[in-house]
Amino acid sequence: MTTKTSLLKVILLGDGGVGKSSIMNRYVTNKFDAHLFHTIGVEFLNKDLEVDGRQVTLQIWDTAGQERFRSLRTPFYRGSDCCLLTFSVDDNQSFLNLGNWKKEFIYYADVKEPEKFPFVVLGNKVDVTERQVSSEEAQQWCQENGDYPYYETSAKDATNVAVAFEEAVRRVLAMEERTDHLIPTDTVKLHRKPRSAATCCS
Amino acid sequence: MAELMARCSYFFLYDGSKVRGEGDATREGICYFYPEETPLDKQELLCGQLAGVGRCVSELSSSPVRVIRLHHNKFAIRMRDDFLWALGCPVEVSIVRVCELLDQLINLYCFYNGSVRQSYQLSSQEALAARWARYLSHLQSGSSELYHVFSCLRTIDSTNVDPLLLLKAALILQACQRCPLVLAGCILFRGRVVSTQMSPEVTMKVMVHESDTYTKRPNGQNTCSSVGSAVSSTSVFLTLSELQDLQSAPVFSSYSTPHKEAPPKKTRLSRTLSDTPSTESEPSDPCSPQSPQKVSFSPHLSDVFSPVPSHSTPGPSPQSLRSPCPNGKCSHEAEEEESFYHSFHNSDVGSRQKHSSGLDDSSHLNGGDGDAACGTVFADKMVEGDSRVCCGSAVGHGAEMRDAPPPSLSGGFSKVEENPLIPMTLYIHRVKGLVLALLVEPHFLKDTVSMEEVYHSSLASLNGLEAHLRSISPGLQVPPGPYVFAHFDCIQSTLTTNLSGRPGGAPEHPFVRATSLLHSHFCNTETLQEAIIRSAGAAVYGTRSVAQETYFQQHGGSLRNSGIPNHQDSAFSLPSKARHRLLKHGVNLL
Repeated sequence: MTTKTSLLKVILLGDGGVGKSSIMNRYVTNKFDAHLFHTIGVEFLNKDLEVDGRQVTLQIWDTAGQERFRSLRTPFYRGSDCCLLTFSVDDNQSFLNLGNWKKEFIYYADVKEPEKFPFVVLGNKVDVTERQVSSEEAQQWCQENGDYPYYETSAKDATNVAVAFEEAVRRVLAMEERTDHLIPTDTVKLHRKPRSAATCCS
Repeated sequence: MAELMARCSYFFLYDGSKVRGEGDATREGICYFYPEETPLDKQELLCGQLAGVGRCVSELSSSPVRVIRLHHNKFAIRMRDDFLWALGCPVEVSIVRVCELLDQLINLYCFYNGSVRQSYQLSSQEALAARWARYLSHLQSGSSELYHVFSCLRTIDSTNVDPLLLLKAALILQACQRCPLVLAGCILFRGRVVSTQMSPEVTMKVMVHESDTYTKRPNGQNTCSSVGSAVSSTSVFLTLSELQDLQSAPVFSSYSTPHKEAPPKKTRLSRTLSDTPSTESEPSDPCSPQSPQKVSFSPHLSDVFSPVPSHSTPGPSPQSLRSPCPNGKCSHEAEEEESFYHSFHNSDVGSRQKHSSGLDDSSHLNGGDGDAACGTVFADKMVEGDSRVCCGSAVGHGAEMRDAPPPSLSGGFSKVEENPLIPMTLYIHRVKGLVLALLVEPHFLKDTVSMEEVYHSSLASLNGLEAHLRSISPGLQVPPGPYVFAHFDCIQSTLTTNLSGRPGGAPEHPFVRATSLLHSHFCNTETLQEAIIRSAGAAVYGTRSVAQETYFQQHGGSLRNSGIPNHQDSAFSLPSKARHRLLKHGVNLL
C-alpha cells in the first residue's frame, strides 16, 4: 500500500533571494549558510520522514528564482506532487509575484485540475524585523486563491520549516486518498478484472 | 583503419637492475610485457635487443635514446633509473604520438601507484601487470580517432549544453574548495569533462579511475543516504610541479567552445568567479595562462604545502627563467643559468633536494630546446613537468637534453627516482552518470567534519546538475555541413569538431588521416603555421597559432587539381572558406 506513495516530489518556487535553497538546506541538513550562491537551474535533496504513520521519501526540488533561469527550471515542474510558493516577508514584490509563480507552475507542470492541486504558501525570513508583508495580507491571499495553508518560516532560525514540509506531505497524502476513493467509481470495469484474477491466483 | 591511430603493438617495462651479471636471464628483468601472450623467448629477444641498442646509442651519443625506428615498428624509449620502457607502434603512427602515448602511460602509472621501484616492492608483479594493461587499454580506447590524434580531453558537447550549466559545475567545484583540504577537482558526466580546475593532464589521469568505477558499477547509486554510499576514494601521487599548479591561483577551464564561455562567466552570478582572474579569456597569449600558476612557486617545501598561494616572488625566480619564451629565444645559456640556480639552492638547503630532480628538470629542458622556437604551443603541457615530447623532433639535437642527464652523470640518475611524488587522495562522489572528483589532502578522509561539509554542500547541486545533463537530448545534431573541421585548443587540450563521434566513420577517414599528418608536422616544425595537404580527391587545410590548431576540409565541388600550381585551384580558397565557415562554430581564424 504505502510503497506507491513512497516518493513525493515537492517543488519550491518563488522570487530569487527569498530563501528557497536555505529552506531546503535547513530542512534536510539542518544547516544555514547566509552566503549561498544563486541557484542555477534546479537542485534537489531527498529526505525520509514519517507522517501520520506513513513512511515517505520527500524529494525536495529547489529552483532558481531569477527570470533568466526560467528555461532551465521549468522542464522540472512536471510530476510535482506539491508546490511550495515562497516569498520573503521583508520583500513585498516577492509577495506580489506569488500569483505569477502559481501560473507558471500550473502551465509548465501541466496540472490537470489546478483548483485541486495542493499548494502551500511560505512567508520566509520572519526573523527579519522590518517586515513589508503582514501576516494578515498573506493569509488573505491564501484564502482568496484556493484556501492554501500558510506558514511563516525562517530558514535562519529553523522556525516552522519542518512543520511546513510535513503539512505539504499531509496535503499530498490527503489528495491521494481522495483520488483513491474516486477510482473505483470512475473505472469500475477496468479495476474489477485484474482484481478478481489476483484473488483467483492467491 | 585502426592501425593508423596509435595502436600499440608492443609495450614493456624492463628492470635492468635484475640483470647485472652474464649469467642473469633477461626474463628476470621483464616486469611487464604486452601483448602478454607473446612467447617468452620473443619477449627476451625484444627486451634484450632494445635495451642493448638503447644503452649502446646512449653511450655513443651521450644522450638518452628517445626513439628507435625499425622496419615495421617504431619504439618510443624511456630510461629512468634502471628501468627501461619501450612502446612500439606501427611505422605509420607519428613519432609525436608514440612518445606521447608512452609518456602518458608512465605518468598514469605513477599517478596511481607512486614510484615504480616502490610499487614493485610493495605489490606483486601480476597485480601490477593488470594495471599496466588497464592503463594501456584506457589510453587506446575511446570513441573517435580524432581524439587520439590530439590525445585531448573528452568533453561534453557544449553546443547542446546551456553555458549556465557549465557555470553551475564550476561553482560546485569552487564551493568544494572552501574546504582547505580540497585542492582542486573536476566534474565529469558519462566519462566526459563538464568542468575542471586541473590541468588537462591531471584531469585525464583522474578520468581513468572514473571510467573504471563507472564500468564496474553502472547502476545508479542511491544518493539520499549519508556520506559513503556514493563516495569512494583512492590514493594518488602528484609530482611536485603538479601540486604547485594546483595550489596556486585557481585556474578555471570550464569547457566550452572557444570564445563562447566568457560572457556568462562575467555576469555577477558568482562572487568567487568574478574575483577570479579569467585567464582563459586571453588564449592567444601563450605565457599568460601559466604565469599566474607559476609565480607562487618556491623551492621551499613548506611553502609548497601551504594552502595559501604566495604571489609575491621578488626578483628573478626559477620560474621567470623557466617560462617558455614565446619568441623562441630560450637559449642554452638560460638553461644553464637555471640549473646553476637550482644546484646552488640544493647545496644551500638540504631539504630542498626534493625539488630539483629529474622529472622536474625535464620540463624546462623541454621548454628550452635551443634549436627551435619551441615552448610556445605546448606551454601548458610543459607546465605539467612531464617529459612528453610535444614539440621538436624526437630525434636529433632537440632530443639530447631531454628527460635525463647523460649516462656519464648516472649519479644523477638515481635522483630521478627520488623525485618526490606527493601522496594525495582522489575523492569521488558519484550521482548516477555524474561524478565529482576532488584531489584532497590524504587526511581529508579522516576529517569527518570536512568531509560531510563537502558532501552536503555539493549534493543538492550535483543532483540538480545530473538531472539537467541527463535531460539534454543528445540528438538535435545539425546535419553536417558541406565541410568538416576540427579545432584543437592546445591550452585546455580540448577538441571542437563537427565530425560525429561515431568511431572510424568511413567518409571522414581521409580527413582524420590528413589531420593526423598535419598535426604531426605542426609539432615537428615550430615555424609552420599553415599547410594544405591533398590527395587526388580531397584537400585539407590546417592552420595553427600558439594556442590552437584548426583543420578544415570542404566537401563537394569539383577539385580543380591539375597538378600544376594554378590560381584557380580550389585548394587555395580553403583558408578563406575556413575563416567564414568556422565563425559560426566559435572558431575565429581572423
